[in-house]
Amino acid sequence: MDERTNLLEQIMAYDFVLYDLQLFLDTHPSDGNALRDYKMALEQSENLRRQYQAKYGPLTTRYLPNTTCWQWVNDPWPWNKEA
Amino acid sequence: MWYYEKKTQYPVRIRKPDPRMAINILTQYGGPNGELAASLRYLSQRFSMPTKETKAILNDIGTEELAHLEMIGSMVHQLMDKVSPQELEKLHVDTMYAVHGRAVFPSDSNGVPFTAAYIESMEDPIANLNEDLAAEQKARATYEYLLKMTDDPDVIDPLRFLREREVVHYQRFGEALRIVQETMGKKKFY
Repeated sequence: MDERTNLLEQIMAYDFVLYDLQLFLDTHPSDGNALRDYKMALEQSENLRRQYQAKYGPLTTRYLPNTTCWQWVNDPWPWNKEA
Repeated sequence: MWYYEKKTQYPVRIRKPDPRMAINILTQYGGPNGELAASLRYLSQRFSMPTKETKAILNDIGTEELAHLEMIGSMVHQLMDKVSPQELEKLHVDTMYAVHGRAVFPSDSNGVPFTAAYIESMEDPIANLNEDLAAEQKARATYEYLLKMTDDPDVIDPLRFLREREVVHYQRFGEALRIVQETMGKKKFY
C-alpha cells in the first residue's frame, strides 16, 4: 500500500469511529463518555486530514489548495481500483 | 444538504474481476433490500419522526446508507471492470451486458429495475420504525447469502463490514422505537 492510501485509510478509520459514535450519541445524547471519545477522534481526524490535503489534494471542496487550477477533478476517485 | 467526501466509508479494492459476483452483489445496489431503498426509506421517514433523537437517527442512518450505496457501486464496478464480452458470455452474465454494458445500474441481480414500491413511509413512527428494524434484518440476511458465494478476501472484507453495519443500525432503531414509545406514553397520545 502506498503512502497516500495508507494516510487516507487512517483518516477513514477515525471517520468511521466518528460516524459510529454519532449514531450512538443520536439515541444517547447525554452520554459523557461517548462525547469525550468523539472529541478525541475528531481531533485525530482533523489533524490527519490537514496533513493529507496539504500533500495529496482536497478531500472536500472546502479545502482550497493555493494553486491556479481546480485540483478537485484530479484522479483517483474513490471507486477507482487505484484509489 | 450534503457535501461529498472523496473517499469511501470503508476500503473497496478488488484486484480480481468476478462478473458473476458483481451481478449477485448488484441486488444490494438497486434491489428490494439494497442500500438505495434503505437510504430513501429513512431519509423520507425522517420528516414524520416525533422526537429530536429519532429525527437525528433517521437522518444519519439514511446518510450512511448513501455511503454504503457508493461502496456497493464501487464493488460492482471493480468486479466487472475490463472483463471482455466473450468472458461474460462464457459466465452466462451476458444478458446484463446486452442491456447496460458493464455499467452500474440500480436493479436487482435479475435485472428488475429499482422501484420505490420497495419502501414505505407513513406518518406513524411506530409503523416506520418496525419496518426499519425488519429492513435491517433483511439486508443482514442478504449480506450473509452474498458472503456464502465468494472466497475472495477482497470481496469478503467490505461485505463483512456492511453486514456488521446492519446489526448496528438494528440496535439504534430499537432504541429509537423505545424512545418513541416512551414519549407517546407520556403524552397519552395514541
